[in-house]
Amino acid sequence: MRRALLWLLLSPSLAFALETQVLPQGAIMLDVGYLRTSLDKQWSGDRRALSLIDDIPRYEPGGGLQGILRARPVAEFDFLLVSALYGVTDALSVGVNVPILMRSTIATNLSWEPGDYQPQLGRKYSLEDFWSWAASMGQPRVPDRVVNTQFRLADIVLGAKYLLPRFEWMKANHFRWSAQLNVALPTGSNADPEEAVSVGTNLWELHAAGDVELHLAADKHFFVDEAGVYRLNLGADASYAFFRPRQYTAGKGLKNPLLNNNAFYVGDTYWIDPGDWFAGTVSVDVVPFIGPTRASIVSGGSLEKAQALPPMVTLSASYTYIATLQSDWQSNSKLWDWEREKLWQPGEKNVFKFTGTVSLLRLGVPIQLYASYRTQDIVPGRFTRPANVFTGGVRALMKFW
Amino acid sequence: MKPSLLLSALCLTLGCAPATPPPTRETLVLTGTAYDRGLQHGTQLRSKIRSFYTTLMANSLFPFLSREQPDIATLLKEYEAERYQNGGFARELLLESAKNLERDIGRNGRDEMRGIADGSGLTYDEVLILNTFVDTTLAVRGIGLAIRQGRAPVVESVEFLGVGADGRDNSGEGAVDEADEGVIKPYVPPFFAAAVEVAVDTKLRVVFADPDGVDPQTVRVRVNEGLFTFGDPALEVVELDATRVQATWTPPSPLPAASVVTFVLSAGDKRIIEVPGPPRASFRRDEELVVTTQGAGLAPRDLSRPALTDNRTRPPPFVVGARGARAADGPLLAHSFALLDANTAHKHTVLLVHRPDTGPAYATVGWAGIVYGISGLNERGVGVACNPSDTLDNSVVGSVLDQVADLPRAKLLASGLPVGFLVKRVLERASTAAEGVGALTDIAPVYGWNCTVADDQGGLEVVELDSDVFKQGQRGVYRYTPTDRDPSMRRYSSVTDDDVIVGSSYTRNVEDSITLTLAGQRVVPQRFWSGFFFRSRRVIDDVTRRVAARTEPIDVAWLESVLVTPEVVDRSDSMNAVVLDLRRRTVHAAMGTVPATDSPFVATELGR
Repeated sequence: MRRALLWLLLSPSLAFALETQVLPQGAIMLDVGYLRTSLDKQWSGDRRALSLIDDIPRYEPGGGLQGILRARPVAEFDFLLVSALYGVTDALSVGVNVPILMRSTIATNLSWEPGDYQPQLGRKYSLEDFWSWAASMGQPRVPDRVVNTQFRLADIVLGAKYLLPRFEWMKANHFRWSAQLNVALPTGSNADPEEAVSVGTNLWELHAAGDVELHLAADKHFFVDEAGVYRLNLGADASYAFFRPRQYTAGKGLKNPLLNNNAFYVGDTYWIDPGDWFAGTVSVDVVPFIGPTRASIVSGGSLEKAQALPPMVTLSASYTYIATLQSDWQSNSKLWDWEREKLWQPGEKNVFKFTGTVSLLRLGVPIQLYASYRTQDIVPGRFTRPANVFTGGVRALMKFW
Repeated sequence: MKPSLLLSALCLTLGCAPATPPPTRETLVLTGTAYDRGLQHGTQLRSKIRSFYTTLMANSLFPFLSREQPDIATLLKEYEAERYQNGGFARELLLESAKNLERDIGRNGRDEMRGIADGSGLTYDEVLILNTFVDTTLAVRGIGLAIRQGRAPVVESVEFLGVGADGRDNSGEGAVDEADEGVIKPYVPPFFAAAVEVAVDTKLRVVFADPDGVDPQTVRVRVNEGLFTFGDPALEVVELDATRVQATWTPPSPLPAASVVTFVLSAGDKRIIEVPGPPRASFRRDEELVVTTQGAGLAPRDLSRPALTDNRTRPPPFVVGARGARAADGPLLAHSFALLDANTAHKHTVLLVHRPDTGPAYATVGWAGIVYGISGLNERGVGVACNPSDTLDNSVVGSVLDQVADLPRAKLLASGLPVGFLVKRVLERASTAAEGVGALTDIAPVYGWNCTVADDQGGLEVVELDSDVFKQGQRGVYRYTPTDRDPSMRRYSSVTDDDVIVGSSYTRNVEDSITLTLAGQRVVPQRFWSGFFFRSRRVIDDVTRRVAARTEPIDVAWLESVLVTPEVVDRSDSMNAVVLDLRRRTVHAAMGTVPATDSPFVATELGR
């Protein structure tokens, strides 16, 4: 059965712009996206923006406070996101999402607040004095900027979305609903425990998605024309994300003896149970411009089918509330655990996402271009790190009969 | 109800509740033999003991002390050996001293440490280091500090210009304008006032000397709240020759009349030390001179040093003891202890209540993995609290003296008993303060300490200890009670017969060390080099003023209020604040934060 690419999609990943979108049977969608994320703060329990790293007071043994080392790091990541989606049936699509970290840049932005007067120096410690002091004990200076251009694989996500059977009233009212299951493969990496500045690429460290996610979504179209193209869509999604406990290796101070030497009391390894997420999303999709339409290979030569293809321009906006549960560190030292757990208490994210999609399907070109911006700055969260993400990409649609 | 029950069940399963911080102060009741008590301690605080050892020793003190290795190796060539290189110096030095100290610790102490090792998973050697490092480190640090002060500019002379011809007795010696009045040459750090009744327009002239030359730009004179540095019109700095600089300070406006005035002097030399970093000159410690201006009417010994507000010094440990009429509800000892927090000790505090098979029960205020505290009381109503008191009459200097004929092979080796074990001896043996003093003094300490012992019957005595390596005839023991008087017939450090205020400097053992030159290094008494000396004198005077002003009986609440007074709290290295109620056998301890006084006082009754 030759099928028009009507259902070929609006989003490359399994997280569709339309919450309930699936592919038609036999269709394949390839998506190559570029993501740039930036992160420069964390939300406190009372929604204040704090540095990603707590102030570090440094003490001269018996000599009082040397000073307070303050880091205001800004982390920027460049990802390549390669996705493929396949329509097993008209109601079931499966896919794979392969994120590759191409480049990470972390500016530490260190500053120094002098502490107590040090009689042996005849002055208070400056930042230079501190690093000189640290160097005398084998601790190298933490660089101002760390750039890693080595390609690293993050956790690969496999997913399946099933368009649930619709009752008659649903059909009559342009209402759809679906269920989705995502499962991550542990292909990402942990942060290097010996480096002073390091990032991991597993989903927990990226704080992007759960290891297993279950979604239940619904869409309601409005102002639907005779071909089935809507002018407005309202969507909703409820999800639960499970994170598996992860084992980490503790630092032995091999590179940073003063900063990363904790294996002796933490244990050679320790566990993190990240805590699960509950999330709810509401979204709106607006079609300001449907565009010219012509019969082409994309529509199997049918103008009627071409008129059912996605409009040329779709603008989407969504808000997602994510409740994050307590992250639990499990090492040999409860004190050390707490120093981390206090930053990862039950909290929330408030994610706003704005997407624009240009579809060339109606013109006979099986390509869609999209760009989106996701921000967590509009409504402050709690005990989370608000990464802001720009995404741009292109989708190619194929079908093998 | 159902949804909330469901939600609660879900939360219990998933972990909605936030994590709670672990306690930073613990109270352990330990029973049985010494080994049993150590094992209970080690088992129950396993995690904290390991983190304390790592964060304090491995990550802080070992690398810090190892910075001393190049300097010490220039004098003691043995420390050039391979095993002292690459950061191994501090651990090896502390371990060698610990092994040497182990002999004097006694079987019970060793068994208790063995129990901690078995319970915590640390090696016995690590536990031994943890239990002996304080005294050894103080001694080595003291030597290092004395060496550094030895290569810094010295104050050659101090002169208050015009004082010798002002028609007044400025020395308190009963004579007017005697020869050299107003001149301190050679300079000896004054224990009391440097001069009294000086004119409000008196100039100060100081000569600094250093073989490497004195850097004029580092000369600094502080007068009360005013700071005068190189280039200030009020401070004339002249290089007299290649090794000497003369600084003359002229008051830009008259000094306050009938007042106490504090001068703080310092200077650095011209030789920059690059290794270990950071690069720096050698600086004279802040020398404090206190005078009174005309009309104050105070004798030199009656002067009370005002607080300094330039944020260059921190209050050291002190003790207040009260008994009899001054403590109507029973004898009390208050202790503010500050030494080495390093941003970690406060997370590992523990009050240990020992209930041994034999001997009295006792409680000590200390840290995880350490068998003792620096203060404590026993069920017989005896309490003790100790403050460090810098001295070169210590066992490590003694070890160098013993090996002076073969310095290249000599080592720094501590001997005697660490103060915490002395505290334990008092609590394990004494039924009275006098017996406590006996327990403190029948074995030499590793380092200098001022210990105050009290009992519930009113016994109250201070013992100033050193290692007596110079055999000065007192066995290193200098005792006084509130009623004892010095040669000028003044109390040593008391307001009345029923109180005592003890700091971190010697009050009776003022000539703690003889003066000599050892391997090119000057060995001098505490007041010439110790960073504690002036600030201890100041905190003693501060607390003495508070005790003198107290007209009501001294009680627990008032002592707690003194301990938390900001002027006497070291905000960086405060480790605990304790009031021992000897009659009620109760320890009131604030700890678990830095400063410790940010925590509430928690009462623990020992019982009888």
